[in-house]
Amino acid sequence: MLRLLVISSVIGLLYSSSAFAQLYGTNTFEFQYGNLPYEENTDLTTSYDQLNLFYDQGKISAYGRFEHFLTPFNDRNYFLLTQKRLQYDDDHFKVRIGNFYKTIGRGLLLRSYDIPGSVYEDSFYRTRYAFNRDQEGVDISYKNDWIEASVIRARPLFNPLPPNFKPDSARRPDLIEAIESDFYLTEDLSIGGAFMRSRSDGRDDYRELASLMYNYNLPFNLQVYGEYAFDTDIALFQFKEEDSYALYSGLNYFYGSFGLSAEYKNYNQFRLGSGYNDPPSLIKEHTYPVLNRSTHVLSTANESGFQVEGFYNFEDGHSVTANITTAKNEIARTNYYREYFLEGYYQASDFLSFKAFVDYATDERKGEENRISAGLISEKSFNYEWSFALDVQFQTYYKTAFSQNVENYYASIAYSTIPDLTVSLIFEATDDLLLTDNPNTFDIEDETRTWLGGNVRYKINQSHTLDVFAGKRRGGPACTSGICYEILDFEGVELRFTTRF
Amino acid sequence: MKLLLSLLLIVSSAVFSGPKVHNFKLKNLENRTTSYEDVKGEELTVIDFWATWCKPCIKSIPKFVDMYDEFESQGVQFVGISVDGPRNLSKVKPFAKSLGIDYPVLLDTDNNVMARLRVQAVPTLLIVNSEDEVVYFHEGYTPGEEKMIEAEIKKLLNE
Repeated sequence: MLRLLVISSVIGLLYSSSAFAQLYGTNTFEFQYGNLPYEENTDLTTSYDQLNLFYDQGKISAYGRFEHFLTPFNDRNYFLLTQKRLQYDDDHFKVRIGNFYKTIGRGLLLRSYDIPGSVYEDSFYRTRYAFNRDQEGVDISYKNDWIEASVIRARPLFNPLPPNFKPDSARRPDLIEAIESDFYLTEDLSIGGAFMRSRSDGRDDYRELASLMYNYNLPFNLQVYGEYAFDTDIALFQFKEEDSYALYSGLNYFYGSFGLSAEYKNYNQFRLGSGYNDPPSLIKEHTYPVLNRSTHVLSTANESGFQVEGFYNFEDGHSVTANITTAKNEIARTNYYREYFLEGYYQASDFLSFKAFVDYATDERKGEENRISAGLISEKSFNYEWSFALDVQFQTYYKTAFSQNVENYYASIAYSTIPDLTVSLIFEATDDLLLTDNPNTFDIEDETRTWLGGNVRYKINQSHTLDVFAGKRRGGPACTSGICYEILDFEGVELRFTTRF
Repeated sequence: MKLLLSLLLIVSSAVFSGPKVHNFKLKNLENRTTSYEDVKGEELTVIDFWATWCKPCIKSIPKFVDMYDEFESQGVQFVGISVDGPRNLSKVKPFAKSLGIDYPVLLDTDNNVMARLRVQAVPTLLIVNSEDEVVYFHEGYTPGEEKMIEAEIKKLLNE
């Protein structure tokens, strides 16, 4: 009844909003008819809807997120107001009450995120919901020309649990209280600090942490950033095995069409609470499917290493990118991660382009050795009216757990009528025993497994987009916007309708 | 009943026009907080949401740099908003500079502005008029689409 009243009020607001106020938002509706492979007896028809509503009036704004999930299984269904926020914003102050996103420094102490439009399905609860990590509480910020400060008291979301999980309090098991400030000493130099204490439910004591950070815009197009976060009861800059600390430093440089970024990390015993912090992983973020799902997962228990990336953009549109990444974990034994990546983009004409990449990596902690990945992508446009894109990728590595040489294949072909319609076919194959074997049988199946699916995207107008998928889709680890999570295999038909209003 | 309410919300969502751009504040590449009022254009503001890991963005940005050179004198200001999180933040400045971006670039690390301007994917380009109203919204980029965007800017300048 309460929910109906809330919805009625929202619809009332929608129609009563006039020139002095704005009501707007987005809606994502997704319908699936299909199931997970190897689960023939659990055919699912599900629908998921996410409505984000914003209401602005002068310096005050309100926000609400409604999520609705419907399946044949009642215990998985829900219809909830999953986020709500009231915000005041002027030239100097910003006050947020409710659900909000906030990161301290580069995320060594606290990191929030929201991947707009993402729909996550958990393999255990089989419930679909928005994949985000927000804070619920209060955030008060102040800024002027030489200082910025903020105070937070909030409960970060533990997002592996779906919105309908009971008790609801289990989804926010930590309480954090933090103060952060940045001082701009000169036009180019700022120093900052943060103090945070946190307490997990069921415990009486607080864990106290602090962070020191600086940013310096140096001459000759150089910029350095450093941050050092630590438990307040340790001796500073000692980096002992038993201490909890996280040290991150980044340097960047550019000259003409050349750019360079170099970063260093040293993290030890620095997983906070239920995992509400997320220090930079310093792992190259790839969008190529074979590399995206091969990502090295950062261990905040113990990891050190560096990443260097350089790029050069030629005047006629060609570009080259090179990346070197190394990491070392010392948990029980020493494991190394090394990756060398090279990518080239060649624009043969206004209507024809080629892109190629090659990547070599070894991830000892994950048990993947001598991983070689390569790909070639070509796009051909016909007088900017329609275009074809061909994408072929290959990957092989030695999997130590199975003593197996794994091979992965990816190919896609896409046709676009500019700018409204894109139709694509995607084929994938693997002989990875972890994926070829049916877990419901006693035998070990080792025949190459394949996936074939088709996508259609139609941009109806500036406000509405329709996406349809049919066929089989390969799951696995996936990273979007720097956030990595697991997506599930799917076979069937999926329809997504996105609206902004 | 719940399904009907959901459908009602979806249908009702189609009849409302877009929002005004609020005076958001974000850090720039020099780590200083900048407001929308500080960077917006006299006639039009073209806001391009991008990320270092986004392949189509890399193709579209040089086209927008050229367009900025063409329209700057007519009161059109381009603003880039990078949605890179802390994982890629160190790459944003050298990446932007090596691509020749000479208009302001702001950092929306927590995607707060992205969500409020109803952007759900990168690249997305918005054109905002002098009344701060979003008058054009374009998601994605395929080579050739810059012609359409250029035509839209010319049309809006002539209105």
